[in-house]
Amino acid sequence: MAIIERPSTTAPAVLPTVPSAAFGALKRPVTVSSGWRSWLFTVDHKKLGIMYGAVAMFFFIVGGLEAVLIRLQLAAPDGKVLNADLYNQMFTMHATTMVFLFVMPMASAFANYFLPLQIGARDVAFPRINAFGFWAFLFGGIFINMSWFLGGAADGGWFMYAPNSGPIYSPSHGVDFWALGLQITGIASLTGAVNLIVTVLNMRAPGMSLMRMPIFTWMITVVQFLLLFAMPVITVALFLLMFQRNFDATFFDVAAGADPLLWQHLFWIFGHPEVYILILPSFGIISEVLPVFSRKPLFGYPFVVFSGAAIGFVGWGVWAHHMFASGLGPVSVAVFSVATMAIAVPTGVKVVNWTMTIWGGKLSFPVAMKFALGLVILFTIGGLSGVTHSVAPSDTQQTDTYYIVAHFHYVLFGGAIFGLFSGFYYWWPKVFGKMLSERLGNWNFWLMVIGMNMTFAPMHILGLQGQPRRMYVWTEARAGEGFFNLGFWNLVASIGSLILAVGVLFFLINIFVTARKGKQAPADPWDARSLEWMTSNPPKEHNFDSIPTVGHLDEFFHRKYSESESGQLTQVKSGEEVILDLEKNADAHIHMPSPSYWPIVLALSLPVIAFGLIYSIPVAMVGGAIALLGCYGWALEPSTATDDEIDPPSSGQGKEMVHVG
Amino acid sequence: MVSAGQMVNRLTPVLRRLKFLPLVGFVALAGCASNAPQDTWAPEGPNAQMIDDLQKPIFAVAGIVGLIVFGAIAFAMYKFRDRGQPIPEQTHGKPVLEITLTIIPALILTVIGVFTVRTVFDLAKTSDTEMVINVTGQQWWWEYDYPVQEELGITKPIITSGQLVFPVGTKVMLRQTSRDVIHSYWIPKLNGKRDAVPGRVHLNRLEADQPGIYAGQCTEFCGLSHANMRMEAVALSKEDFAKWVDQQLADYQAPAEGTLAKEGETVFLNQCVRCHQVNGLKRADGTPAIAAPDENVVSGAAPNLSKLMTRNTFAGAMFDLVTPECRADVWDASRETFGEKYLAGVSEECLNQTDLRSWLRNAPEMKPMYANPALLTSTGGKYRGMPYLALSENDIEKLVAYLLTLK
Repeated sequence: MAIIERPSTTAPAVLPTVPSAAFGALKRPVTVSSGWRSWLFTVDHKKLGIMYGAVAMFFFIVGGLEAVLIRLQLAAPDGKVLNADLYNQMFTMHATTMVFLFVMPMASAFANYFLPLQIGARDVAFPRINAFGFWAFLFGGIFINMSWFLGGAADGGWFMYAPNSGPIYSPSHGVDFWALGLQITGIASLTGAVNLIVTVLNMRAPGMSLMRMPIFTWMITVVQFLLLFAMPVITVALFLLMFQRNFDATFFDVAAGADPLLWQHLFWIFGHPEVYILILPSFGIISEVLPVFSRKPLFGYPFVVFSGAAIGFVGWGVWAHHMFASGLGPVSVAVFSVATMAIAVPTGVKVVNWTMTIWGGKLSFPVAMKFALGLVILFTIGGLSGVTHSVAPSDTQQTDTYYIVAHFHYVLFGGAIFGLFSGFYYWWPKVFGKMLSERLGNWNFWLMVIGMNMTFAPMHILGLQGQPRRMYVWTEARAGEGFFNLGFWNLVASIGSLILAVGVLFFLINIFVTARKGKQAPADPWDARSLEWMTSNPPKEHNFDSIPTVGHLDEFFHRKYSESESGQLTQVKSGEEVILDLEKNADAHIHMPSPSYWPIVLALSLPVIAFGLIYSIPVAMVGGAIALLGCYGWALEPSTATDDEIDPPSSGQGKEMVHVG
Repeated sequence: MVSAGQMVNRLTPVLRRLKFLPLVGFVALAGCASNAPQDTWAPEGPNAQMIDDLQKPIFAVAGIVGLIVFGAIAFAMYKFRDRGQPIPEQTHGKPVLEITLTIIPALILTVIGVFTVRTVFDLAKTSDTEMVINVTGQQWWWEYDYPVQEELGITKPIITSGQLVFPVGTKVMLRQTSRDVIHSYWIPKLNGKRDAVPGRVHLNRLEADQPGIYAGQCTEFCGLSHANMRMEAVALSKEDFAKWVDQQLADYQAPAEGTLAKEGETVFLNQCVRCHQVNGLKRADGTPAIAAPDENVVSGAAPNLSKLMTRNTFAGAMFDLVTPECRADVWDASRETFGEKYLAGVSEECLNQTDLRSWLRNAPEMKPMYANPALLTSTGGKYRGMPYLALSENDIEKLVAYLLTLK
């Protein structure tokens, strides 16, 4: 286990004993600053964060293309772009990809990169486990998508209701790949959650009490607790499904006395907290962005923190609102209906606080701010349509129609994804040292706003006009006439999806252009408020030359500005000067974890096991052997690479870098 | 010169304010009636009406709250934009304001909650049921089974599919279940949806104020042809419903010897009766022909085709059994004449020969039922829905003639 020691200015840190028999594969890889090995074996939270982001972005494009195919199929009645089978695979994988392979890992990217920086730490508590989490996510994502080429992807919807997910009704291997692949990404989420919780609880900079923690870190912490308790539930459900499909178990077999509603309860006890797992990181991001561009602190910080925590708690008591039509009986329906209304209150508190944050501010509107305000407005639309189906009787008319599709895309696209884009523009200079182009960013933003509203607003109409979800075709006979006819609005939604795709394309162009000839970012481009900006862009491998002592919420801001009795602010230092102060007092001994071979080896064993469970048990045993090897290698690995292996060698560099694993 | 970016920046506050307009328009316009047959805002029975009475005010409240929030944000974006003012005071919040703005939505939601809970229990009422119909879903059609109810003239069980026929002004209780995966029964103009779950019986109320055909659609994803699993609920006046019951209970009329239809009956006995029951049909030796769909299809049932020509649809209501003209004649008929036209059934001129023949020729091509025939081993060789039967054109000719006699 790697513990990064707090720097001591008085005595040099004591090095753990290096096992004397450190040879061969058990030698830790040397630190290299560039090249593919510096990525493959890295345990640096920043490099892992970037890799999380890059892979998640790839899956965003995959999921987006799936969405465009779905909309092309539905643009006209009796669509011929996809057949029924492919369509079912497409909408199953669109949701699976967007939820598990884009929004969740993209939130992990932000959490990995910024959480240690925001709390003034040099890395996470368990750097190797962090690396393992990334590789498990990547291999799990690839594994699920391999099914496209091996007889077809999963076709039961992302909710995978039993018994339609059973071997009789879904005979291809798609569901097997889906269930096992999600187990693998689930392991990634679970290890990540443990890691970040320990990091937040143990590794905050001196003086940073919980109520001085940046709000993004707070929201990520709530999410990690949600993950910690939600992932085991889906793990159980997926195991039952796997045993049902691969080993003839009868957990959901009605003929054997099972009740298929068991799956629904398990799935949604995971699935509803999952919704907050998706949205809270974005709430955290814009709660950082809005104050910066309003030049005011977040309004009602404790209310935002506690409403986030309240959402985290109440989020466990509303799962059955996904099942209002499933025949729960009036008592359960009434209880879950009221609980669902209750959760609207803390959510409303957040919207109020964001509005009050910009109220009375000094607002500027760079692209990051535009996306943040976009979230507030679009999420509010989704939140209000959410209230209409917390009303259970009303929901029995709306559930499983396009009205619901409209609702959760306003919440998840307008909410979660707009928040992530706000984060991209806000933190890009921090991560890559260059400013994303504002000009291309505006194209990106406006096309996404127009495309998003054109795609999803008409779906309110489609749903209220009675068009169900998950239909590979819709028919002219049920389309009606006049202003609300399904044909017109389906076409509008499909055109909107193309505009949305072009909007996202502008972001990719922006990345490319910025990498080629982007403007170098100043140290403090936004006059920011929190710790992650109190170091160079991009940060050094050890994040901070000296760990700051925190006296305020918005510590960086308070080091730059002094406030008079009357509340008048005067700038006393520039951001650069604050950073220089820290550099001048650099710690003498900085202990960083060494890279390791074993996280990627252990992660690689997982898809091998999964592959074996589907096709041949001996292959699974090979995977098991690799896992065992990985665990032993990991456990026996020397805690550090030796000094002379470090590149560049630590001697004569002015600052001594000791790598502790 | 003003760059596009600057332009956009300047327009931001203006465009922001315009953005909620679609929502306003949507809320306002969606209130107007329209013609989609599954419109959820056009109740035609007391259950749907109860839901509608509850939801319309809530939509209005949500719309108003939205306007207030968007108005506040738009105002703030305009009023507090950077005009060179000094950095504002670093205020951290106003607890009184916070608490007030927490209590107001909580109060609104409490009121909504009270009405919601009341409606939930009102809709779940079962004590005043006047009629029971058993509804069974399977991939991808619905079976309607009417248990004996002497007071309604149902002296023997009736089993039908494709269209649910029931009397107006009668509190009908659907007892729903499924033979395979989960389906959901939904006639938007009459009530919200209720899942049909294998191994469970769920109750669902249906009542129509006026005679007519009410469209619906299976709304729980149920596999390949989920999109094609439609339903139609046909409400008849009480007198017409009594006539319909008599029609259904009438004895089987075997086609006359020597007719094409009689030859069709033979084809039916050789092929179709393996899965499809026709009540009263006898084999050449005089024994009753009993279908055994459980041996041939995964779900264990196939539509009972007795009195097929009293229905307007076939293949899970995916296709019309009548031509579009005849269909429109019934669907658009006035309240007074509707029942009479519906009870007339399908005449030879009105029969949708094209779709029916294509269906008999190759059903899986008309309706996706199994993605990959090679994977039929997973079901022990049983079919999901109607298989390809390799019927000759001659046999199809005879079968159509025979089916036309099933009235």
